[in-house]
Amino acid sequence: MNEYPTVVAAIANDYLERVKSQLQLVPAREQEEFLLELRSHLYEAYRQTPGEDDVARILTVLRNLGEPAEVVSDRLPGAMVRSGAKRNLPLYIIGGILIALFGIPLGFGGMGVLIGLMAALLALAVAFYATAGSILLVGALFMLLGLTRFLFPPVFDLLISRGFIQLGPLAEFFDQLTVADQSLVMILFAGVFIAAGLGMMWLGKHLLRGLRFLFRLVVDWMSRFAKTIRLKLRKEQPAGHPANLLSFVHSDK
Amino acid sequence: MGYQDDGKDRRVTQLRKGILELAVMGVLYHERHYGYSLVRVISETGSIDLKEGTIYPILARLDRDGLVRSEWVQSDQGPPRKYYALTSAGRQLFDALNQEFDLLVALVQRKWKAEEQPEQTRKKLFIRKG
Repeated sequence: MNEYPTVVAAIANDYLERVKSQLQLVPAREQEEFLLELRSHLYEAYRQTPGEDDVARILTVLRNLGEPAEVVSDRLPGAMVRSGAKRNLPLYIIGGILIALFGIPLGFGGMGVLIGLMAALLALAVAFYATAGSILLVGALFMLLGLTRFLFPPVFDLLISRGFIQLGPLAEFFDQLTVADQSLVMILFAGVFIAAGLGMMWLGKHLLRGLRFLFRLVVDWMSRFAKTIRLKLRKEQPAGHPANLLSFVHSDK
Repeated sequence: MGYQDDGKDRRVTQLRKGILELAVMGVLYHERHYGYSLVRVISETGSIDLKEGTIYPILARLDRDGLVRSEWVQSDQGPPRKYYALTSAGRQLFDALNQEFDLLVALVQRKWKAEEQPEQTRKKLFIRKG
């Protein structure tokens, strides 16, 4: 007989519901397939477990299987798994709020806003790195000038006289210094700029990490949203889907 | 004074977790299985009291990494079963991991002998002593 007693089915379904609640960020089809696999496991294990008391048998099966959180680990999306270690991560909260505010209530409109927002954040990251790159370039140029001034003063003078180097308002200040001091000032400037550029690059790692996290959340949400829409449009399961192989698991309801 | 039981249990669990993936691959190397049958084989063959749910994260990981393939098969006795088998990449990886595992077992059980050490190693030891 391919059916559980009603009370056993209720307990098994309750367990599967708890598993399902842990799989909210998993794509719907994968979720469904895994739940079907677990149903199969529960059914087989129940049949193989000896005993007169049906409830005791199914409870033994569930105990052997373990807690839902243990069973679903490694099925959650990468972003969710990574956030598990840092539950207070502000970006995760911001991502959740953005999705709640824009994604769900506004549907496609919300998705558009999210995509725009992600594009803006991406542009911000690009601008950030462009600025850091520029600062590093300025630092490198100052270093080059400082070394040229110190090692090859005639070359530096030639570049000034030809107009390749224009010191502008700093010219008067530099004229009061010796060649060595001028070099030193330029090298110091170079050091400051290079340090600032490298600092920005280092900070950029965190910026990128946050953006990557937000992207994963948004992509995951959009994929689930698209799947839901597709399923609603079809109004039935695709042929060959495992759920179509079997209907008895719902028969106790 | 003996080591505390809970500490021992924790370490045994850790050890098993580390090896379980290899054991799963080993079972699937020879024959395809579905989740429950895999649990039975590992529990009965290995005499291990296995938390059955731990199999599924392992299968998910192997699947994600392309080391197993799966297919649904209708069953006369109940719900359809999802059978897993190692892919060729999975078989290659298992062969490599199995060799590593043999080395580790030999190391743990101290099957190696001093006279079997390579010539080069002995020379190095001699130089250090000198």
